[in-house]
Amino acid sequence: MAILHKPVVAFGAVLLGAAAVNAMAEDYTITVWAGGTNQTSHYRVDAIVMAAELLEREASVLGEDLNITVESQVWSGWDDFKQAVTLAAESDTLPNIIVSGHEDIGPWSQAGAIRPIEDYVDFDAWPLNQLYDNLIDVASYNGQIWGIPQDAESRVFFFSKPKLKAIGYSDAQINNLSERVRSGDYDLYDMLDDVKKMQDEGVVEAGMGFAPRPTNGPDYWQFYQSFGGEMVDADSGKLVFDEQAMTDMYQFFVDAVDMGVVPRTYLGLEWDDWHRNVAAGNYGAWHGGTWHYSQWTASFGLTDFFDNVSYSLIPAGNKAGHANAITHPLVYLLSSSGSDDDAAIAAELIAIASEPRINSLHAVESGHLAIGADQVTVPLYANDYWTSEATEKLLPYANAIPNNADFGIYWDAMFQGLEAAWTGASSVEQAVSAARNEVTSALGSGVIVR
Amino acid sequence: MTNTASVSGSLEPDVTARPARSEPRKRRYRRGQLFGLAMLAPTLIFVSVFFFAPIILTAVTAFTNMTSATGITGGAYLITPTVVRELQQQGFAPALVQALEQQVIHVDDATLAAAREAGVAENFLADIAANLSGRQFASERDFERELKQFQSRPRRIRDLKLAIEPFTESILNQRFGNRADATAAVYSVAPDVTPAELDTVLKNSYTGWVWTTENFAKLSADKESLRVFLNTVFYVSTTLAFNVLVALFMALALFYLPPTTGSVFSALWLLPRITPVVLYAVMWKWFTWDNGFIANLAGYLGLPSFNYMKGSVPTAWTIVILVNGFVGASLGMILFSGALRAIPRQQLWASEVDGASRLQQVRCIILPQLRWPIMFVTCYQALSLVGSYEQIWLTTNGGPGRTTTVWSLEAFRTALLNYSGNLQYGMGAAMALVLVAGGLVVSIFFLRLFRFNDLVEKPRIEL
Repeated sequence: MAILHKPVVAFGAVLLGAAAVNAMAEDYTITVWAGGTNQTSHYRVDAIVMAAELLEREASVLGEDLNITVESQVWSGWDDFKQAVTLAAESDTLPNIIVSGHEDIGPWSQAGAIRPIEDYVDFDAWPLNQLYDNLIDVASYNGQIWGIPQDAESRVFFFSKPKLKAIGYSDAQINNLSERVRSGDYDLYDMLDDVKKMQDEGVVEAGMGFAPRPTNGPDYWQFYQSFGGEMVDADSGKLVFDEQAMTDMYQFFVDAVDMGVVPRTYLGLEWDDWHRNVAAGNYGAWHGGTWHYSQWTASFGLTDFFDNVSYSLIPAGNKAGHANAITHPLVYLLSSSGSDDDAAIAAELIAIASEPRINSLHAVESGHLAIGADQVTVPLYANDYWTSEATEKLLPYANAIPNNADFGIYWDAMFQGLEAAWTGASSVEQAVSAARNEVTSALGSGVIVR
Repeated sequence: MTNTASVSGSLEPDVTARPARSEPRKRRYRRGQLFGLAMLAPTLIFVSVFFFAPIILTAVTAFTNMTSATGITGGAYLITPTVVRELQQQGFAPALVQALEQQVIHVDDATLAAAREAGVAENFLADIAANLSGRQFASERDFERELKQFQSRPRRIRDLKLAIEPFTESILNQRFGNRADATAAVYSVAPDVTPAELDTVLKNSYTGWVWTTENFAKLSADKESLRVFLNTVFYVSTTLAFNVLVALFMALALFYLPPTTGSVFSALWLLPRITPVVLYAVMWKWFTWDNGFIANLAGYLGLPSFNYMKGSVPTAWTIVILVNGFVGASLGMILFSGALRAIPRQQLWASEVDGASRLQQVRCIILPQLRWPIMFVTCYQALSLVGSYEQIWLTTNGGPGRTTTVWSLEAFRTALLNYSGNLQYGMGAAMALVLVAGGLVVSIFFLRLFRFNDLVEKPRIEL
């Protein structure tokens, strides 16, 4: 007999019975851990609190006594948060809900730290049936949907309008710049020439022409794509190490250092210093995320963003590449800790928290983008100029980093090589060679070297 | 036997009387031993649990490929679409590949009985049997949509999903906790699988860690390892020199200062040691950061004004050495000051009578008698520096770039803390093991350098 059934645990029967007998009081404590959370993104947790209240009210309408207590812990950074989650997984003390980057689905699902959320929610029912398909794909791995997108964003290239004007750009040329970037007419080396000119003419200080992200992040994969690199092979699903694209990408940053528009010792700059300089208009060009808009305007005193800042996709690096952006959605994940019943309640809370009106609170306040089609009809979201602009002009061109259990190894190797080349510790060729060796020795046939 | 007894008896006539006297002594000796062990027991337990066990665990982990994806406590067998694709690429027969990945949902007497056994409500089963008996579905989603049409369906979506499971025939994406279950599962969908094929399927689907020596091979082949190693040698040697020399200088200066003044300076010099490490690091940041004290002072003096902690490699190293050096120097100063007080003052007075200068006193009287404390401080500080990374992590964080990254910081990041969340416990443990070995080498070097055996030699005369 070739039939195998998924293990159906005994409490399944209890649950089914309990559906009929609904007068008993049920008390749940649902814990939520969220990484990368600051004062403008508190709705990552608050949305779950709001969802708990709604679910309790729904239960009350049905004559049930449901009491849900939401406990939460947030981290402002990612390193500490991921360490906490990973170690909690080993000691089986994970929270019920984890809010993390979608790239964690690969390793955490392999380790058995999370449950596929598709086993707990109805993707045919509202609000999950209106979520963008590409975001559902981003939250999927190995043919299963593991998470619900908590937000979406796009990584953006920014130019200082006053600095561009100071080197001779007209208003019309500035307005046309994002289109030139999109079409590939204006590339990364054009940008370097412009910011060098800004420095030479004393419009910006030496070494302040170009201000990339100061730390590791998905942003640097955009530059790899700008030079024609692919992260994953569509046919085989294997990771791809494109030597030429990696070389060109490293070389671009080395060229930027050699031109004096970014310091050799730039990487590792404190985020607050970077934000302060952006808000003060000290940089000629820089790149960040859509959510930085809310940080600059809410926390760093930038009041006239649209008068001062022009934005576009990340420009192409050469003819092999293209202008692009990466979206890096956070996802609500269900941990494997706790009972199946706890997970069912947690999943229901996540589904409610994904309703357009609730998610719009997070999107607008934190500068993130819509996760579903209905959200663009929510007045709060639709009337927000920045989110609408980003949704229309940037998000359609954005892709995501792959969900692959081994991608972290590749990512670390890529950034280590970039650091080595950038700081001059290695030549570009040596850095690419070291990164390639690191990836191939760790992943073997799991990576394709082109 | 008889002869032996008689011989011993003849040689030691009082031997028969001896046991009566020696028995209590032996008991006392044993009791003393047991008492000693009892007194030592807490220490032995403490040392075993907090010293030997971590080292042994590190050594064991170093020979594995443990990561956050494999977990620590052991893996499962999970046949995923990725695994199936790998098997396909390895040339597995299409029929076997199809068997492994197929997912079929049957509604028949057997699956209905299984659902009943799993506790699915009777009225719901009756609707399924009446409307869907004999049908097959290619995906759970399609079957779920059919079930949603029944009024008798469970209200909670989770209950509906659980009700679907007994109808599903598939081993794809199922976690099997042990090899036997996984083997049985594979045989259930592919009875003709050969032992070699089964072995490959199980090997590819195993999610846990395996034993390996690749960590050490990668460390030895990686050029970055050499760079981090050289960084560590530079950091340890320069900081150690700063620690010992400044500590010695401070101890000597305080020794010759009037007692009250010496006490004040001594207390001030302890601040780096007694300040909490995070606060100490934050103060250094304020001191050296953009618009911090040094940057402002430099600007005022017409010198380059920038972030001295991360703005250039030489200044970053200088800050790293100073941050760690002051902490170590304060400890060394305390130890050297104590040792200086143990030197008989008469020797110094006598030397002054003979016209010796302060420098001659230090060179000929003090330093020779400080050999032991200098050795201790040097050895202790060297080992501390080899394994320390907290101050670097909290100040330059190994930057700019990775220029001030040392071995212990890299091991910590590899095993426990990095942006992508890719925690490589096995590789980190291998790096830590190399660190332990390096520490042993350093210890032996210093013990030989200071002729440790001479220092602990028993006096040749009874005092």
